[in-house]
Amino acid sequence: MKEVIIEGLRQAYSNLVRMFAEFLPRLLVMLVIVLIGLLVAYLLKMMLRAVLHVPRLDRLSEEAGASRFLRMAALPSMTELLSRSLFWVTWSGFILIGISVLGVAGLQEQISRLFLLLPAIFVAILILFLGLVTANFLSRAALLAAVNAGYPSPKLLSWSIRFVIWALAVSMALEQVGVARQTVLAAFSIVFGAFMFGLAIAFGFGGRELAREFLERNLTEKKREKHEEPQPL
Amino acid sequence: MLSQDENLWYKDAIIYQLHVRTFCDSNADGIGDFRGLTSKLDYLQELGINALWLLPFYPSPLRDDGYDIADYTSVHPSYGSLQDFKDFLAAAHDRRIRVITEMVVNHTSDQHPWFQEARSSRENPKRDWYVWSETDTRYQGVRIIFLDTEMSNWAWDPISKSYYWHRFFNHQPDLNYDNPAVREAMWEVMKFWFDIGVDGFRLDAVPYLIERDGTSCENLPETHDIIRKFRKRIDEAYPGKMLLAEANQWPADVSAYFGNGDEFHMAFHFPLMPRMFMAVKLEDRKPIIEILEQTPQIPETCQWCIFLRNHDELTLEMVTDVERDYMYDEYAVDKAMRINLGIRRRLAPMMENDRRRVELLTGLLLSMPGTPIIYYGDEIGMGDNIYLGDRNGVRTPMQWNGGWNAGFSAADPERLYSPLISNAVYGYQAINVDSQRRSAHSLLSWTKSVIQTRNQFRVFSRGSIEFLNPSNHRVLAYVRRLGDEKMLIVNNLSSSAQAVELNLQMYKRHIPIEMFGRNLFPRIGDLPYLLTLGPYQFYWFRLRRI
Amino acid sequence: MAEESFLADDFLRQLMSVGEVDLLVGIPSYNNASTLEQTLQSVDACLRQDFVRERAAILNVDGGSTDETTKVFEQSSERKGPSHKGLTSLRTIHRISCQYDKSPSQGWALRNIVAAADLLRARACAVISPTTANVTPSWVANLVRPVYREGLDFVAPLYARSRFQGLLARDLLYPMSRAVFGQRIRELYADEWGFSGRLASQCLERNVWHEEAVRARPQAWMAITAIGGGLKCGQYFLGPKGAAPAGTGPDIVEAIRQTVGNFFWCMETNQAYWLSRSNSQPVSTFGPDHELSPDGIPPSPEKIFELFRSGVTELEPILASILAPDTHAQIKAIALSDRTKFHFAVELWVKTLYEFAASYHHTVLNRDHLVQALVPLYRGRLYSFLLEHANSSGEEMEAQSEILCQEFERQKPYLVERWTAKS
Repeated sequence: MKEVIIEGLRQAYSNLVRMFAEFLPRLLVMLVIVLIGLLVAYLLKMMLRAVLHVPRLDRLSEEAGASRFLRMAALPSMTELLSRSLFWVTWSGFILIGISVLGVAGLQEQISRLFLLLPAIFVAILILFLGLVTANFLSRAALLAAVNAGYPSPKLLSWSIRFVIWALAVSMALEQVGVARQTVLAAFSIVFGAFMFGLAIAFGFGGRELAREFLERNLTEKKREKHEEPQPL
Repeated sequence: MLSQDENLWYKDAIIYQLHVRTFCDSNADGIGDFRGLTSKLDYLQELGINALWLLPFYPSPLRDDGYDIADYTSVHPSYGSLQDFKDFLAAAHDRRIRVITEMVVNHTSDQHPWFQEARSSRENPKRDWYVWSETDTRYQGVRIIFLDTEMSNWAWDPISKSYYWHRFFNHQPDLNYDNPAVREAMWEVMKFWFDIGVDGFRLDAVPYLIERDGTSCENLPETHDIIRKFRKRIDEAYPGKMLLAEANQWPADVSAYFGNGDEFHMAFHFPLMPRMFMAVKLEDRKPIIEILEQTPQIPETCQWCIFLRNHDELTLEMVTDVERDYMYDEYAVDKAMRINLGIRRRLAPMMENDRRRVELLTGLLLSMPGTPIIYYGDEIGMGDNIYLGDRNGVRTPMQWNGGWNAGFSAADPERLYSPLISNAVYGYQAINVDSQRRSAHSLLSWTKSVIQTRNQFRVFSRGSIEFLNPSNHRVLAYVRRLGDEKMLIVNNLSSSAQAVELNLQMYKRHIPIEMFGRNLFPRIGDLPYLLTLGPYQFYWFRLRRI
Repeated sequence: MAEESFLADDFLRQLMSVGEVDLLVGIPSYNNASTLEQTLQSVDACLRQDFVRERAAILNVDGGSTDETTKVFEQSSERKGPSHKGLTSLRTIHRISCQYDKSPSQGWALRNIVAAADLLRARACAVISPTTANVTPSWVANLVRPVYREGLDFVAPLYARSRFQGLLARDLLYPMSRAVFGQRIRELYADEWGFSGRLASQCLERNVWHEEAVRARPQAWMAITAIGGGLKCGQYFLGPKGAAPAGTGPDIVEAIRQTVGNFFWCMETNQAYWLSRSNSQPVSTFGPDHELSPDGIPPSPEKIFELFRSGVTELEPILASILAPDTHAQIKAIALSDRTKFHFAVELWVKTLYEFAASYHHTVLNRDHLVQALVPLYRGRLYSFLLEHANSSGEEMEAQSEILCQEFERQKPYLVERWTAKS
């Protein structure tokens, strides 16, 4: 019996060594691929940076107003952003290729699925980003307008707008990557619908006076009431 | 029996104005005379004019350049004899040149026998031939015309110890037209000259014939009545003779002197004249357009007389204060150039001897509606002498050549009635008839050709006028029309080149023919007609439909 | 490819016909049929009486009026008396009209006016608003004459104000612009002003017409362009500023957005000029001495204080990103104080404004939002002012105004420090 166990152990040990010996080259290859990928990604990043400097992309994006968004989102400049994105995308690609070389069962399939998802993920991130920026912008605009016009509950209005846009952005992002599509759609519709319904009730019953005042001020030519504020200019 | 057309000869006239004293001296006494004038009629005929207007040549103490008449039916000995005048008249008529003389009806010289009699005693039969008063307070508020020299319209007569009325110089007492004897006497004077053969009279100072308390003593209905009666008698006894009114008033007031075609045949358009000068300086047609818009229609047989300069100052009576100041500042900076609310300068010096501007104004004169009057010497661009007294600066001797006394007289230069213009720019050595005759491109030659062109078309003298008002205000454009004859006149009033688009829709398919070169211009189509003009340039286009 | 010209063919043709002028008066309009006639009569009368010999043109730039505005302009021509003797005026007074097809704004209108001034080689120009009810011929003359005869390049109006009129200009815009740009021009945001052809040509060359800040209120930009270019500025007393009819004219929010937004933008684009300057100089001032008139009932300000207080509370995160911590703290403190004892000190006000300006420069958030965030604070300052001066005379208010101006100038180094700090 002792010999069987020892034999078995020796067998398992040599299998392990063999597996390790078979795995090691693959691991080495993977590391090489990853290193090469690092170099290539770095080179591409430098090249793209140089190329983008020619049309002065930063200046253009400043003028288009995109740079402001980036600053507010604590992101680097457009050129830098694109260059770094290219670096990471390239290196990620090489890493994924390297992992696939390892030959781990099942991993290959997942990796190719991940590759297929990449564009969608990218778009989803973009949607979230835009949604974030838009929500910030519009909610702040609403807050300022409401505060300056003296409307009650300006924070509520601002938060509502932020919520709606944010919810919309999240739903769109999730739908984009295909995560629980039906559920998300249904959930969004319900929440959004309920929210709107609630607002309607609030306006209709609770905010009658406010609604009337709002409509009167903006849709009719009624003169501003004897104003408390003197003529500014 | 004169035909209807012959009776309207004054409409087609181009009048040349001169004083016989200034034109040509035949007897070397330093003063021009009728024999001298007769010798120059060929020149005038060559120029193309067909009527002469002579300033007063009657016996006179000459304290107002002959407008103070001491004898209505004679000729001042300095200018010759009555026979000399008759000879001149015959020679002029031979050359188809009519003669218009002055009839100073409003006043006489205080040396006139009528006044001598009237002042001799209050009982004299001719006493009432003038306007007398015990005080100088009658007719209060009536304006004084010769502001620079007269303080009042009344003058004290030491002989008859009373005041007499004078609208002009104090040595020119006004005749009393309320007195039928005066009217009759004037008629006899007119008859005298008409019988000799004079073709018409310029009646001097007509607005002032009658005085009434509480009025301005100008343009009164009684004055018009007197004129009408004269006119009726002239028409009956001397058909074809012409009366020209000198009434320095607004167009609406002057047009009253045409009556219903039963008063004057012609009248000067005084207010237009300064505005032509103004328009050129302002480089804006507005002054001309506005005054003509304010000019009323006149009877068919009547005609305006238009002119640029004459023997008097360029009068600025019929302009606003703003306009007067502008004219003074632009044309008479030196105060010596100003007299009696006017400017005593000739055309060429006022245009700073700019040939283009002289031509432009002459072109306007000859193309606007009315009978044009050319002042002697302006056809050669004569200069003036503002340092001679009164308005004598524009009455210097005619410059015939560059020789002795400019060919005006064989007398000693010191004997001339007036010094010659002798500076380097306008002097007789530079500006004279002989030298300009030799060149086909001189001002004289140019004036001749323009007059000749004008004479070919009756549309200038008798046609209507329609102003085109292009958006470029520096261009004055109008169409003269008589029946089928149409002339398009386009004038650039500014010193810089201009482009102008004319709305000639009414003349679509017509071909403009430029009259000085006889060249065809592009046919008028649907679009606005584009023309470009050089500084002060003008076009006369005959619009032909072929 | 050549850039599309903004000058319409018809407009250019009209300019060609006019040729050259000495004076150009521009009237920007948008649905002003009821008031345009009056304005035109005043301008016309001024040109006939005061500039008899000058070549002049009146230009109407319309932003696409839907009422009879353009018709009113076309039909208003010279009126002659029934039996008129002599000329109605020495020269033709030209009338030119044009329309621009963008949304109506002062900036687009001014662009056409300066283009016309440049092409017509006008020596002196003025912009007259058809909404100012009490424009007289002397107003026009007073804006044009210093440019035409004295050689100034920009002439701002001076108004006889009542005590509580124009407080935005008196309590913010004037003192701040005086301290920053160094010239004591009181009314940089008025509706009428005069300028030279030289300045017009310079402004025409600048490619800033698409900027929102310039489009809304171009007059201050024009004045600052003149100041920055070393051209001469001045101001002329016109008379009482007519009150806009109730319900018209910008409200406080819009007014601040346009004026302060424009001013901060001018600071941004002219920083090379003002960063190194200190103190201020008076400008040539014409016309009689005048004071704030004692009339004018102080408006009831309770609502104003409420808006200030709620603004400070609701906008706390926004204000935190704009203001320095201690400034923000001070403002929060005074927002909690008793209404009857409320006092927004001059020093704090100046500091606040300078911090806003610097934050605008560093774009800590969207610039328009930043300017809007100033509104509650301005209301607070306004409330404090009304409380303090309810019974003050015009003289006392002027004295206080001078103290405010000096505080702005005193704190300018602080502005420079905040402005040039690394973001």
